Amino acid sequence: MNVKQIARLALLTAIALILFTVEAQLPPLVPVPGVKLGLANIVTVYAMFRHGPRDALLILLARVFLGSVFAGAMMAFLFSLGGGLLCWLVMLPLRRILTEKQIWVCGVIGAVAHNLGQILVCLAVYQTASVLVYLPVLMLSGIVTGLFTGLAAHFLLGWLKGRI
Amino acid sequence: MIRTRTWILLFAAAAVVLGALSWYLLSRRTEGAVVQIVQDGTVLREIDLSRVTGEERIVIESPYGGSNVVLVRPGRICVAEADCPDGVCVHQGWLESGGSLPIVCLPHRLVILVKDPAPDTDAVGH
Repeated sequence: MNVKQIARLALLTAIALILFTVEAQLPPLVPVPGVKLGLANIVTVYAMFRHGPRDALLILLARVFLGSVFAGAMMAFLFSLGGGLLCWLVMLPLRRILTEKQIWVCGVIGAVAHNLGQILVCLAVYQTASVLVYLPVLMLSGIVTGLFTGLAAHFLLGWLKGRI
Repeated sequence: MIRTRTWILLFAAAAVVLGALSWYLLSRRTEGAVVQIVQDGTVLREIDLSRVTGEERIVIESPYGGSNVVLVRPGRICVAEADCPDGVCVHQGWLESGGSLPIVCLPHRLVILVKDPAPDTDAVGH
């Protein structure tokens, strides 16, 4: 890993963390636990397509860990980690099959996978199926918010192409 | 390569199905009036909301630090105060005796849910 790579990773991690922290200050839009915009997903999609899965994973892990430390909620760390890892895993094959004009799709599927991963961790932690009531709502919210963050990353990639 | 139109149709169809499913699950009403306050998988209290006459405040200390104040009134229950960072449980408001959506506080691992009166009936049976 050379200096340029390290600086790039640090910059993207910082951007993701800022988005994550600012978003945490917003009041919840819907009174369902787990529903949020997930702005940091923009950085994940961007890194996945621009710099590859390895960089995306490193940024994701650093953001999840530091984000939980800053928010002071280590319980949330497990949920974020489960969601983030599943999100990263489903993005791996998507990277191969999506054309340049379909990058936003990655945001949608990534967000849905993230919420699915959270529910799975929740199931493992609480050992009760009652949390499954939230699954359809969380997946629906993943489609809506993922469309937003996916399109944001899509336009960002198009706009930055050839500039940096 | 999957065409863009296919992706859009796929997401739209999924959104419609999930929307209908969430609406059904969130508006589903159960017969039960017995709620359970569950922390970390263990039932702390079981309250029959139909038999509550006065108002009761229950302070639940979390083993992970912090606490939730649960307010019980005739026919309904809610989390009145919590010192968790997001306060989602407080925002969720009242859980009525016929409601089905549990109140969840993730940081303190607290769940308040309506006990299913007939665990054998599944969604189809309903």
